[in-house]
Amino acid sequence: MTAALIQNIHHYCIGLSYLCAFLLEAGRLLWPAKGWRVAGLGFGAAGLFAHTAYLLVQHPSPAVPYGSVLLLAWVLALFSFYGTVHHAKQAWAVFVLPVVIGLVALSRVLLTAEPEHAAFDLAAWASGDRFWGGVHGVLILLASVGVSISFLASMMYLIQARRLRRKVAPGTVTPMLNLERLETMNRRALNGAFPMLTAGLLVGTLLVPHGPSLSDNWLSLKVLSTAGLWLVFLVLLYLRYGVHVPARRLALFSVVAFSLLLVALVASHPFATGGAK
Amino acid sequence: MNLRAIGCNVASAAVELRERLAFNPTKTQTALTELNARFAAEAVVLDTCNRVEIYVSRQDAVAPLHIPLMAEFLAEIHGVPASEIVPHLYEHADAQAAKHLFRVASGLDSGVFGESQIAGQVKDAYEVALKSTATGPLLNALFPSAIRVSKRVRSETGIAHGHVSVSSAAVDFVRQVFNSFTDKTVLVIGAGKMGRLTLKHLAELKPAMILVTNRSAEKAADVAKECGGRVMPWAQMHDALVQADIVLSTTGAPEPIVSRQVFDNKVRRRRAGRQLVIFDMAVPRDFDASIHDGEVSVFNVDDLSRVADGCMAERRRHLPAAESIIDAEVAKFVGDWNTRANGPVIGQLLSEADKLRESLLAPLLAQMNGKLTDNEKADIEKAFRLFQGRLLHGPIAALNQASRDGHSGLREALRRLFGLNG
Repeated sequence: MTAALIQNIHHYCIGLSYLCAFLLEAGRLLWPAKGWRVAGLGFGAAGLFAHTAYLLVQHPSPAVPYGSVLLLAWVLALFSFYGTVHHAKQAWAVFVLPVVIGLVALSRVLLTAEPEHAAFDLAAWASGDRFWGGVHGVLILLASVGVSISFLASMMYLIQARRLRRKVAPGTVTPMLNLERLETMNRRALNGAFPMLTAGLLVGTLLVPHGPSLSDNWLSLKVLSTAGLWLVFLVLLYLRYGVHVPARRLALFSVVAFSLLLVALVASHPFATGGAK
Repeated sequence: MNLRAIGCNVASAAVELRERLAFNPTKTQTALTELNARFAAEAVVLDTCNRVEIYVSRQDAVAPLHIPLMAEFLAEIHGVPASEIVPHLYEHADAQAAKHLFRVASGLDSGVFGESQIAGQVKDAYEVALKSTATGPLLNALFPSAIRVSKRVRSETGIAHGHVSVSSAAVDFVRQVFNSFTDKTVLVIGAGKMGRLTLKHLAELKPAMILVTNRSAEKAADVAKECGGRVMPWAQMHDALVQADIVLSTTGAPEPIVSRQVFDNKVRRRRAGRQLVIFDMAVPRDFDASIHDGEVSVFNVDDLSRVADGCMAERRRHLPAAESIIDAEVAKFVGDWNTRANGPVIGQLLSEADKLRESLLAPLLAQMNGKLTDNEKADIEKAFRLFQGRLLHGPIAALNQASRDGHSGLREALRRLFGLNG
């Protein structure tokens, strides 16, 4: 009975749970009451449970867009849940959950568009056929988490900075982390993501010649957008440590980096099916 | 419930009268003792800069204490003619008295709306009375409830959000920018009185360093001594601005001491994009307003006043939510108290019914002695008990329901109907 129930978990269950958690968190900001937070956490936990169960049962491949986006959404959902518990007075989930919900929805759209090769082939990976492809995928996924966290911190930073520029009274608006904390979060996320992305790209570069069509692989949207992402990263690090550009501009670059990440994740992977699409 | 809240506050009495009615610890002790001894009343004296109130409760059957009697009492304690006091006193009775205390403790009746200091003052007043054994069952239930309700109102509504003074609004702003202050430098420019309170608030954040600069080295030294800071020569002000994270400027200069051009050329480019918050408390202003951007935040007195006013308006927006919590809590308190007050009546009713049952059953069983088996005797006893239980269930349930609804008249009716004297 329980096993059958878990088998039937759908994107909609996950997305709706997160949506309820988001609405309850948003409601808490308008009408503060303990019940809202508890209910919001409950729905967040339910969504996370459904999400985890779905990943364990359906084991989507991180090498295809639908799988990688769903995995990224799961990591961010964990991040959201942790933040909601840890930063009880901050409007944390209100910023993170929309991204999680968006990624779950995007994953659903991608699954509909490309249902084949959706499941992770553990046997093939374990046999060594796709070992380096797997390593590449894990490194890129970890870098994606860093970029996503950096994006969220940047969005919050930009909103908080805008409030300060407009001299909005602190007690009258949604409570958020201070600029210094957000800037630190952004910096750590980027510093952690860059080595992962670089290593992931190096492994990917070594794998490309093994594909059936060399020029197609190098010119695929995924490769180009990932390379673009890496270049943006490089510029970001130079601006931060080389010329000390104000944090607001760095936050804008982080938003650009996240956009490129989305393009890279959504684009079909040249190693997913053994060739570029 | 026989509860009265009698007193005066900032709205009903001028400060001159409130000063004359103010309690010191000795007078408080005397008042509590006298209220206990003379009126057999449990009492708490709440005396703050905004109000002087006495909460008194007596047995239900005894006449409550009213304004004329309390005015006489206050006159005796403070040596002020009662005729001068009476026009300024207000009185709240029973549930309204409980509601008044809940509102007071929650800061809804305070001069600074939503302020939290009053909850501590209510708690202190209760503890003084408790130590003097001046409180009884009602006030021992009422005051802890008031303190709990004040916490609930503050946590479940925005009634205490933000700061409503200019100096504390400044602290609110720096907290939006910085996470930790132990590695930050505060620069104080000038020695104006306007900024002293703000400096006190900023110093409470325990910054790594406070630098003080002034055209007069002597005045700078005075301010530095006061806040535990270090004097920086006036000529090095631009270097100090590069080093600083928070600036508090309060000079009496007739025109800005830092123009946009000077700031951009001598300060901004040397700061490597670090955030800077400037509180320009001087009038006329010390810093060119156009310096304010995403990296450097400049707040003047008007900005901070506007924020303080905005916070106050925002707090007032939560008034209906706070009032509804208080109304629900008052209803619950009154219901619980009345239900609790039913205990002795119900106990006596059951005891009388038991006696009556026994007095009827014993002769009956004696008369039937030898004709009934033990099982038959037990059945008859059980039937009598069942009858008694079913007969009394309705009145007891109705009594408790009436108490929960805030009506205590049924208790007296029950006493009379069943001839109870407790």
